[in-house]
Amino acid sequence: MTERENFFSLIKRTGYERIPVLYDFCPYLQETCGRKVEDLYREIGFTPCPIAYAAGIPVKDSDTEKFRKYYGILKEGTTIDIYGVANEPGSAAAMHMTHMLHPLEKIKTLEELEAYPFPEFVWDEEDVARQLARNNALKAQDRVICGSMQCTIWETAWYMRGMEVLMMDMMSEDEMAEFVLNEVTELAIHRAEYFVKTGAEVLYFGDDIGMQHTIMMSKELYQTWLKPRLKRVVDAARAINPDVIIFYHSCGFVEPFIEDLIEVGIDVLNPVQPECMDFAEIHAKYGDRISFHGTIGTQTTMPFGTPEEVRAEVFKNLDIAGKKGGLLVSPTHLLEPEVPWENIRAYIEACRDYTESPS
Amino acid sequence: MSILNDISENLQRGKAKIVKELVQQAIDEGIPAQEILEQGLLAGMDVVGEKFKKNEVFVPEVLVAARAMNMGSGLLKPLLAEGGVEAIGKVCIGTVKGDLHDIGKNLVKMMMEGKGLEVVDLGTDVDPETYVKTAIDQNCQIICCSALLTTTMPVMEAVVKEAEKAGIRDKVKIMIGGAPVTEAFCRQIGADKYTPDAASAADTAVAFCRATA
Repeated sequence: MTERENFFSLIKRTGYERIPVLYDFCPYLQETCGRKVEDLYREIGFTPCPIAYAAGIPVKDSDTEKFRKYYGILKEGTTIDIYGVANEPGSAAAMHMTHMLHPLEKIKTLEELEAYPFPEFVWDEEDVARQLARNNALKAQDRVICGSMQCTIWETAWYMRGMEVLMMDMMSEDEMAEFVLNEVTELAIHRAEYFVKTGAEVLYFGDDIGMQHTIMMSKELYQTWLKPRLKRVVDAARAINPDVIIFYHSCGFVEPFIEDLIEVGIDVLNPVQPECMDFAEIHAKYGDRISFHGTIGTQTTMPFGTPEEVRAEVFKNLDIAGKKGGLLVSPTHLLEPEVPWENIRAYIEACRDYTESPS
Repeated sequence: MSILNDISENLQRGKAKIVKELVQQAIDEGIPAQEILEQGLLAGMDVVGEKFKKNEVFVPEVLVAARAMNMGSGLLKPLLAEGGVEAIGKVCIGTVKGDLHDIGKNLVKMMMEGKGLEVVDLGTDVDPETYVKTAIDQNCQIICCSALLTTTMPVMEAVVKEAEKAGIRDKVKIMIGGAPVTEAFCRQIGADKYTPDAASAADTAVAFCRATA
């Protein structure tokens, strides 16, 4: 199998030959371990995940200074994104972490919301053709093209409005919740359509709807406010490419929502945190209808386990998934500074060894 | 008294405006502020907290209930102060140094206020010295530390050590929580209590305050 064939076959649960290696480093680990991974690749060889990220939809006005009026004085070093969401740096100890501020948090009326400069996306056929050509060239190099759309609807809306305010708006069936979620859904549809038109064959969605041990909101609230909107985005992407594979990320315990996600058309669930859900149970219940990405705990095994434990966890979860595949095994989240190199190496070697010399 | 039941029930449904009107009506009827607080507002929050622990309601229901409580308690505060009624205990809470996540910490604060505790919110990225200094200066019985990251969990141990260094460890309880935090970690660092959710944290804090009262 080519890397592309292997990837798609694994995701579609029709067998695989190799386990792709997939993880994200925080800036500190990139600096301290990035080189070590390259050396390891030369030393033992392994299968890097073939995903290549597509360029996102162009924004009409990328000047984010216009959002400053929605805030008081911002700390030096604060960045503002195209939605107007500000991220303030913390102390030196916070490293790459930032404190998020919400531009719509203090807005009291629908009129003020309607006047807010939501981002506008603009593209033309020439731009689509250029991106398509770039992505086709990458496919010819055996890469899989992915459109990253984490913070699809709910998280984008809460980042803008503030989680507490948006939840209270939803509970009060306030038209302001309706407005913000509708605007963000339209933007997500544009983002998805652009990715698919420019050749993305995987879309990576994500909106946190789980907490450590419980769901973040009732099923009723989710099914009323978020599920139908997520379905609109999925349907819009599939109207252009019915075969597009859709990943969905939510941290935490989301078992009560998995049926909803399958109904909406999600193909792969990430990250299935072992601290929050039992992968064997989830796989037994849903594994014939949805695939998984993640399952190696970044609150437990990766930072605090031994290399042997990391290896055992990778093997155990791949055994659960079985020969058909359906598990893109990886650390559940970004690897933070305290994760030892030995554990990163153990994860990579386990992925390689599982098919080469199972033990 | 039925008006107090009405306050409790409307609070549980998050009907802030109605709760405010009913609290005003209860005041006008001459019901003592402390009775309105305890048998109306706090009784309602108790029910919400219990349901939250059992996963019968979730964060949004707690938020609207807490908003209703605040609307009602806003009317009661001056009367309670006039009558010399004090909170059942005082807690300082914050997310530890290096960690900027505050959603969980805010929820714990809300639940604690819903139990009648006074809460000093230190925000996020709080260094150990600030927790301890606040506990001393403001006479808090409890320090509550939150962390979302495995990277920042060790700061909780530094808070325990700082409290020991300042000589207040026997006077102050230290509670910890946050997604990666566990009971075993609590024992390991010598904190007093780990709680897995906001409602349990509030219950524990009340129990600590009652024990030291």
